[in-house]
Amino acid sequence: MLKYVVRRLLYMIPVALGISIISFITMYAAGDPINIIRLGRPTVDQATIDALKEYYGLDKPLHIQYLTWLTNVLQLNFGKSLYGGIPVNLIIGNWIWETAKLQIISILIAFIISIPIGVHSARKQYSAQDVVVTSVSLFGVSMPTFWLGLILIIIFSYTLGWLPSEGARGGIKIWWGNPVLDEIAHLILPTTVLVYVMLAQNIRLIRANMLEVLRSDYIFAARASGISERKIIYKYALRNAISPTITFLGISLGGMIAGAPMTEYVFNWPGLGRRYVDATMRLDFPIVMGITMIITVMTLIANLIVDIIYVYIDPRIRLR
Amino acid sequence: MSLEQKKTPEGQHKRRSASQWAVAWRRFKRNKAGVAGLIIVIFIVFLGIFGSFFAPYPARPDPGAYEPFYRGDVRVPPCEKYPFGTSAIGTDILSDIIHGTKYSLYVGVVVTAITMLIAIVVGSIAGFYGGWVDNVLMRITEIFLVFPSLLFILVFVRIFTITVGEPFWTVPLIGIKIPAGLTIVTLILAIFNWASNARMIRGEFLRIRELEFVEAEKALGASNTRIIFRHILPNILPSIIVVSSLTIAYAILVEAAVSFLGFGDPNTATWGQILQENYSDMRTVWWAEVFPGLAILITVFGFNLLGDGLSDALNPRLRD
Repeated sequence: MLKYVVRRLLYMIPVALGISIISFITMYAAGDPINIIRLGRPTVDQATIDALKEYYGLDKPLHIQYLTWLTNVLQLNFGKSLYGGIPVNLIIGNWIWETAKLQIISILIAFIISIPIGVHSARKQYSAQDVVVTSVSLFGVSMPTFWLGLILIIIFSYTLGWLPSEGARGGIKIWWGNPVLDEIAHLILPTTVLVYVMLAQNIRLIRANMLEVLRSDYIFAARASGISERKIIYKYALRNAISPTITFLGISLGGMIAGAPMTEYVFNWPGLGRRYVDATMRLDFPIVMGITMIITVMTLIANLIVDIIYVYIDPRIRLR
Repeated sequence: MSLEQKKTPEGQHKRRSASQWAVAWRRFKRNKAGVAGLIIVIFIVFLGIFGSFFAPYPARPDPGAYEPFYRGDVRVPPCEKYPFGTSAIGTDILSDIIHGTKYSLYVGVVVTAITMLIAIVVGSIAGFYGGWVDNVLMRITEIFLVFPSLLFILVFVRIFTITVGEPFWTVPLIGIKIPAGLTIVTLILAIFNWASNARMIRGEFLRIRELEFVEAEKALGASNTRIIFRHILPNILPSIIVVSSLTIAYAILVEAAVSFLGFGDPNTATWGQILQENYSDMRTVWWAEVFPGLAILITVFGFNLLGDGLSDALNPRLRD
């Protein structure tokens, strides 16, 4: 087991390095960040530019810049933002909590609800309930996430005026003057969007796998030996049907750190996803690189954790 | 003449495989959801090709598109004259949506074509040859899988659309004008989308490579190219068709998201672009957010339904 984990961790190094090199070269190809800072400020003199270049280490050749960046990242230092020179670590640290709050709540709700619905839908295939569940979840995967957010804002914030349309707290009126209730009110709409989308994907996965498992011989044998239907479904069938969902959860866990950029953008949520979109708009490379690397490493680790969880769920799988 | 004679055994083979497709078609016809998807897709394709003939106003770069603006009809809610209302910049939303259809189809089809081409080449080589070739190709695929794709698409689109000079490129020989910015977005979407499909094709190759008929063909002295193109690929074709339909749906969704975030091609009014243009006036012109979003939803829903229906019809494991 330990040997397997160590080997997998070693495998991650070339992938993470590859992604960092591709990202860095892309950033470099995008042009000189100093020129972008200068946009609209034509009066900056050469001395200031040189000073700025030296400050951000941009006067050195590409490979030296990359190596400097890499050594800094290995010491968990992601550099300074090009706008205002705030350390990237500080920025990410401030925003990651809001993203995590939103994502953890949504993933938990979606995961818990999706299992019984998916199982029920598979057991009653082609029944009226199943048709409703499958069409609603197909709608969920066909819908642009951000558009669902827009529609909810138009209905619940603009027309009915029940819920706040943006931000994580505060705003025009604080809900009943209670800060906790206010935070919950701000969470409702973005969580609804995220839960619906995840729920749709999860239900489709669980239903499809459950259908296949329920056709298999061992379920037939279990039925023949008179085991209660409840035990057959939740103890024997679900165990085999759930593994793709775990994979999906693993991918979500990795992406969780990035936040859902679309949802965060629409609800003006002060999280990493929103921040990433802003940084990309302004070509603020240190922030973009920092967030990219964090997502990459988290996704790789999440994949490893998923593979280890598999062993406990499915005893047929052996780690090699 | 000699060519005709040579073709006879193949002709027989073709007739047999046609009947296989006929079986699939018969199964597909029984699936109401799949047929509904096919009807939606046919309607969308019809709208994409012939839409400009019955749209009330011409497409965007044409000054005629701004006729409502010159009449003073800006932000007119849905009425008899403008069934879907007019936008914040004074265009007829119904016309915008009709013209946007062809852009969405363009993105969907081109992304899918490139994605599948890369996926088939990488997947076939990795799956057929195995060994170190497989190892290297799969590591590269992994890099593209782990990449935080939506976020990275934004970086690339931002970088490349900055450098675009002309709004339209003319394709040599055919003389069709294609939107430059949108084409760049499309190419970038394709580059970040092939990895999971390549994995799927590799898996299928690994499965079929071990089957007896391939072994028999090898014993008969068939070349590798013959085995790949005449025996393994035709067996994977059903999966490729299903995945293609789903990839078109996915590409349309991602393009809408990219355009909505303001990274799209400002010269082409895609559905996502219309949503973006009216986003800041959402409080008043809700109709400009609702209807283009519905167009995306219906189109993607159609392709997803079609994909699910095809998968049921072509998947031999579930054949009863």
